[in-house]
Amino acid sequence: MTAPVRFGAFLRLRVFLRSLLLQASWNREGMQNLGFAYVLYPALCRLYPEGPARVAALQRHLDFFNCHPYLAAAVVGGALRLEERVAMGEVPAEAVPAYKRALGPPFAALGDAFFWGALRPATGLAGVLVALIAPSARPVWALATFLGLYNAIHLSARAWLFVHGYASPEGVVGALGAVHLPDSTSLIKATAATLAGAVAATLAVAGGWPIQTHHAVRAAIVVIAAYAILPKLGPYFTALAALAVGVAIGVATG
Amino acid sequence: MTRAVQLAIAAVIGGAAAVERKGALQLMLSRPLALGPLLGAALGDVRGGLTIGVPLELLFLGAVNLGATLPDNETIAASCAVAAAVLAGQDTHIGVDETTATLAIALFLPTAVLGRRLERLTEGINRRLAARARATIAAQPARAIRLHLGGLLAPFLAGAAYTGIAAALAPFLAALRRGLDHHLVQGLEIGWIFFLAVCCASAVRAIRDARAPSFAAMASGAIALVTLAVKILHWRSP
Repeated sequence: MTAPVRFGAFLRLRVFLRSLLLQASWNREGMQNLGFAYVLYPALCRLYPEGPARVAALQRHLDFFNCHPYLAAAVVGGALRLEERVAMGEVPAEAVPAYKRALGPPFAALGDAFFWGALRPATGLAGVLVALIAPSARPVWALATFLGLYNAIHLSARAWLFVHGYASPEGVVGALGAVHLPDSTSLIKATAATLAGAVAATLAVAGGWPIQTHHAVRAAIVVIAAYAILPKLGPYFTALAALAVGVAIGVATG
Repeated sequence: MTRAVQLAIAAVIGGAAAVERKGALQLMLSRPLALGPLLGAALGDVRGGLTIGVPLELLFLGAVNLGATLPDNETIAASCAVAAAVLAGQDTHIGVDETTATLAIALFLPTAVLGRRLERLTEGINRRLAARARATIAAQPARAIRLHLGGLLAPFLAGAAYTGIAAALAPFLAALRRGLDHHLVQGLEIGWIFFLAVCCASAVRAIRDARAPSFAAMASGAIALVTLAVKILHWRSP
């Protein structure tokens, strides 16, 4: 049994920063498996001297693991703490992979819905709207709106999850539950939808509405038609089809 | 700045963006809305980059990497279209107008699909890296773990190659733009409006919420009515 050990702030910071590269070798077989071992490597080196114990510790992180890359910070923090306990003999080594297996899938679902499904569209649309309503302003405002809003939430969430995971591996589920992420997801999606409508109207105004009404009406028809056919054709083919139809109409009426 | 330097800058930024998209950080610097102006600024036309970044952001707003699913690669499409359009705009001295932007998007949108296929290949390379790490970890643990970072190389090279080639094709895009007659220019301008309309529809679809169409319709209707009311008041005022 290794002597009692507690990771210092520098090592925890190092592990957290390495977690920003979790997906570098993402693959369909093990997904983030090698990434997880990479993230924890400095900690495992601190716990175990070079030799079979270190190899065994690394090998238990090479099993399949998949989570949302941001919410994985909580699992990384929790696994880090559990590795300390394993080294001190407080819990069996199997507790670490079991912990990762238990938290990975539900956290992946939560993160996908919140970050990919709500926050990114909403902040992207906010940035687009800034770019459209203030075309004479510096483009940096559009960039600052999008990246500033998104990353303020993203990075603080990652840091918070990592800290909570490390402080209390078992309590991180409760801490995340107290944030009511599904409620926030629903609210942010409603905001994103409103912003999408505002973007469409701003483009119509920029295109001449209400003076050149025919342009706006034509564009509105394309929006509705595209909304209907997008699930069948996908964005790529729908966009190319719209471009082709627009060019044909323009050439024919020119 | 010479053209060779511009090509090198475009390639490096394209490669870095391809890495940032999934393998590292994920700060959304590789999204079209961010990448467009950043790459545009590096090549000398930030506004031109934004002109292309905005619609591509809307079009690919729903491009989500859920588990093993792979969406079209919006980063490669954006870096290629922006690099080619900005450099072509400099060649024609017109900048990135709607016609140049439409041409660049029509030419380079297919790279989104090619990029997705390339990502599948990258996953195959990563699978082999992980297998090699597993096989060698007992003998050389430090080296086995470092293999993880090797997964960043393929996306970087792919992004750099695509963007570099697109930037090198800018003179071709410029020649195409110069050779357009009046009818085609008008056609491309209407094509641009239709493309923007599809982008808006795609943005609403991206939200994946049953309430999204109603909320979007209400917001756009309200803004259209307010604009109409303001115009009417303006016309009536002496």
